[in-house]
Amino acid sequence: MKGLNQFILDLRNSKDLSEEDKRINLEINNIHSKFNTNLNGYQKKKYICKLIYIYLLGYSDVADLGIKESYQLLNSPTFTEKQLGYLSIAILDGYDKHKYASKKEYLNTLLDSIHSNLVKDLKSNDEDINCLAIQFIASNFNINDTSKGSNMVKIVESDESAPQWLELIDILYSYCTSPIKNSLIKKKSSLTLLTLLKIYPDVIISNNNWIPRLLQLIDSDDLGVVISCIPLIQYTMNFKPQIVKSIIPLVSSRLVTFIIDEDCHATYYYYKSPAPWLIVKLFQLVEQFFLLDSPDGTPALSVSEIDEHTLNNLRRVIAQSIQNASKPISGLPNRNSQSSILFQAVSLAVFLNASKEAINGAINALMLLLDSPDTNTRYLSLDALIKLTARLNANYLSSMNLNKFDENLPKIFNLLYDKDISVKRKSLDLIYTICNSETYNIVITQLLEFFPFADFSLKSDLAIKIAILAEKFANDSTWYVTTMLKLLSIGGGSNSSGIGYISNEVWERIVQIVVNNQDLQAKTCKLVINLLRNPAAPENVKGRPQPVIGLSENLVKVAAFVLGEYGSEIKETPEYSIEAQFRVLYESYFKVSLLTRAMLLTTFLKLLLKFREEVFVPDVVDLFDIESQSIDLEIQTRSTEYFKLLTTQINQKFTNQLIKPFPVFVNTESPLMNRIGSINHIVGRNRSSSLVAAQNITKSSNKGLKSTSTIALPITQENDNDELAENPQEDNPFAERPTALTPNWYSGYHRMLHYDAGIFFENQLIKLTYRIMKDKNNITIKFVIINNSAKTAGTDITGFTVLNLESFSGKEDPSYILNLRQLPEATIHDKSAIDIDVKVRDVVENHQSPILSIKFMCGGSFNQLNLKFPVSLMKTLSSTSLSNLEDFKKRWLQIGELLGKEGEHHVKIDLSHRHNSSNIVRLLSRLGFSVVHATPDNSENGILVMGGGILHTQKSNYGLLATIKSVDNIGREFEIVVRCTGGGIAEVIAMNLKEIFEG
Amino acid sequence: MSIHFLLVLNRQGKTRLIKWFNANYSTQEKQRYVQEIHRLIASRDTKNQSNFVEYQQLKLVYRRYAGLYFISAIDGYDSELSYLESLHFFVEILDTYFNNVCELDLVFNFYKLYAILDEVYLGGELQEILKEKVLERLAYLDKLD
Repeated sequence: MKGLNQFILDLRNSKDLSEEDKRINLEINNIHSKFNTNLNGYQKKKYICKLIYIYLLGYSDVADLGIKESYQLLNSPTFTEKQLGYLSIAILDGYDKHKYASKKEYLNTLLDSIHSNLVKDLKSNDEDINCLAIQFIASNFNINDTSKGSNMVKIVESDESAPQWLELIDILYSYCTSPIKNSLIKKKSSLTLLTLLKIYPDVIISNNNWIPRLLQLIDSDDLGVVISCIPLIQYTMNFKPQIVKSIIPLVSSRLVTFIIDEDCHATYYYYKSPAPWLIVKLFQLVEQFFLLDSPDGTPALSVSEIDEHTLNNLRRVIAQSIQNASKPISGLPNRNSQSSILFQAVSLAVFLNASKEAINGAINALMLLLDSPDTNTRYLSLDALIKLTARLNANYLSSMNLNKFDENLPKIFNLLYDKDISVKRKSLDLIYTICNSETYNIVITQLLEFFPFADFSLKSDLAIKIAILAEKFANDSTWYVTTMLKLLSIGGGSNSSGIGYISNEVWERIVQIVVNNQDLQAKTCKLVINLLRNPAAPENVKGRPQPVIGLSENLVKVAAFVLGEYGSEIKETPEYSIEAQFRVLYESYFKVSLLTRAMLLTTFLKLLLKFREEVFVPDVVDLFDIESQSIDLEIQTRSTEYFKLLTTQINQKFTNQLIKPFPVFVNTESPLMNRIGSINHIVGRNRSSSLVAAQNITKSSNKGLKSTSTIALPITQENDNDELAENPQEDNPFAERPTALTPNWYSGYHRMLHYDAGIFFENQLIKLTYRIMKDKNNITIKFVIINNSAKTAGTDITGFTVLNLESFSGKEDPSYILNLRQLPEATIHDKSAIDIDVKVRDVVENHQSPILSIKFMCGGSFNQLNLKFPVSLMKTLSSTSLSNLEDFKKRWLQIGELLGKEGEHHVKIDLSHRHNSSNIVRLLSRLGFSVVHATPDNSENGILVMGGGILHTQKSNYGLLATIKSVDNIGREFEIVVRCTGGGIAEVIAMNLKEIFEG
Repeated sequence: MSIHFLLVLNRQGKTRLIKWFNANYSTQEKQRYVQEIHRLIASRDTKNQSNFVEYQQLKLVYRRYAGLYFISAIDGYDSELSYLESLHFFVEILDTYFNNVCELDLVFNFYKLYAILDEVYLGGELQEILKEKVLERLAYLDKLD
């Protein structure tokens, strides 16, 4: 576009800003008039391009000028014109605060005007056109920032625009899962689908059957598709962690392929590293499972849930990544790629129950890196150390690595004086995380020493961290108050715009603690007066300039409060007389900001009302009189009211009411914790607060630190957490929905009730057989997966994953425990196996059988099976030593006497075909009964079979007796009577037998 | 877990490319951010300071190529090096595409840059990590009219 190039050249040749401005205004007028004439596509493109250029130079008011023409370009059949149309709308029609009341309104307005274009282009047969629409959605509707939490735009079903959003989401979802779309469309669609789900999350909540199909993307051969689907998978994790978890084995084996086998297509090598970005993302994906909490508040994943093979894989890739990075690496891109993998691996390692030696080794290596001359390395090593130490259990850390950090403290402190603020910030974070009850004294002293030298932007953070550490570890209340007041004193002064270095939370917290601890009040009064008279001088550090410290306004605020409330407690000492106290405050009055002055006015009133005879009374009255003229509303109001109060005759009782002692603070959690900043992210979202709470608990049980409780306020944080945990989950939108079982599941289930081996499930693609091995209360179920399509169509089953093994055994005291011992291979050419161990702990009710959910791909089709298999008490039955009918009868009576009705249950069964006596004997023997009596097959007196056995659970064993008696003449109707030595078990067994017989 | 915005500034602070992956920022904020970031980055020395600096709630990952700063704003807890190398990946693509890229290429082809970005990143996330594939796609798109 020649005209555009000329225009840009003209601008570049402008001598000064005013000439540029002139040229631009000329062009704007030109464009304006051109738009009123008939333009062809090329001309429109050219002028729109010029407009975008002008807009990007900062002339944001030209935005409206080109909107209409941009939409015209959108409808053009020419690709480049359509492309530019989308681009100009994306740039010119951004979110303008003055135009829209809210972000949601902006989004809906934009969608409304462009929706029909988007749908038309998404549905076009031309994939390049599809891409334009997809890219537009990703660029312009990506508004929610999940890390921020608040201020999220959320579309709900009742919104007018909901159907329009849903239409886009449906199209994108179908592209992600379509077997015929190419990988270009798939990767773009999966990232864009994520954008839309973030603003309309209800869609994925109500369509949670989408998730397994989306997970399938991670198995793709195209690495672009793999890396593009990871953010989407990470997002779905928030809703269905149990299902998403099923990809961990697959992810770990992919990592093995890249890192251990170094099996990666040559083109994917970035310099000498195979797909470094993908490896980092895959590590992040696994790590996120450990950081995330399930809807019920427990961590979404713990190491014990990962099978041995997968865990081993993960540990191997981590070890290899660490080794790779410690080799000498040439070339910056290479080094950076390897290091990025290293740091991601280290940050995952902590969660995998690494051995103490391994952790120690990692800490050692990272400590050495702190000496590196390369700033990036120092920065990243600090970052890795912070993650490592923050995530390690606090006790664990103190038991072994304490000395390591003690030795290295000087080194870390030195980094506070680094040339790069980014490094300083990280070293402060590290010092904060490793500080403990042994080192807090040195740490805080050093930090106070550092304070005057800290950059302005670091000071506020520094003050908060000192305050938290002091409160957390202090075991001597005097030390606490001295330290904190020293902090306020050193942290005096403010930047040029008058903003203090230390946020209000810090001094407010001190006041809270002083109010709640009587023994601190007099001490604090004395200390604060001393400090106002002689500000704490920062230590003289050789070679560094002596910083100038101004009057600390925060200190004056504390003084204003404590002297007003508790000043009378120390008035007997001459140097702290009320007169002296007043002078100290009065002198600072004109040096402080209006807000602090207002506080001081109240203090003066308190002093005056308490000590009406003191010599300073006229000074105060004069001050109130003068300040009634103040231009500041707050000060004027206070002065006028206080002045009136003093000069009008009001009875003593009323004025005393005004200055009643300050009540004790109740249930105030430390406001400081909200300001702690970035560290919270490291440990995991919901657990970050409990990190502190947990440390508080260990602290109170520690004898040496008993007196802490007299300093800190009642810690309510823990209680708050408990309440949260007890919140009923009823209105939880993420509540589990019952899993829909695959049709035809019952025949396999029923077969398993009867037989210990057989076919569990079969269709054209797949066959599952099972074998049950019993050892008292331990049952092993071995499923063999057979690829049925191998012979007919010659295709492999791929992406075979156990999605979920859903147990219904009760959460508190599970009646049985499932353990997935062997996972199947993902690709099944012929056959593979799943082993499940079942440990029966207690009576299993009949409705508690688990569901096995699996998914796989075969010949391009996606399949998911949800199959129920029986875990029943009957499966633990073993035969008894009961040898004859006499013994049986004796036991039968014993149980009857002992348990009465509790020990017996009757049930009538109605069979679909005739049974004779030997049929029933065979069935009972198969189930594990010892049959002690059976009528002969040709008997005319009906059928009677009796048998017994022993049921095994971890808690106890139970004797079981059963009689089966015919009630008709043809062998179709029977009565089963069960007696059992455990109360209530007879009923469970009887119903179980009924199901086996009738099913 | 994504790039919030990607910026290319020259040493004088002129914007050469700006892509807001996150539509969260208002027109007003955008202008302020660019100025502040330029001041912040230009004041840092490349020898003794890292390629990372915190800004607002974000982390800026940047590198200087001749007279141009390439800057990505990422989440505070995301991998710095990964995104730093990703910037290099992007620069290499520009270099091949424009055949030895210079600042003027970016000035005159400012509208094309967005199409290039759309093949590497989408919604702030990495979309493609294979250089040949991106270049092939760009060559194909150039042939469309």
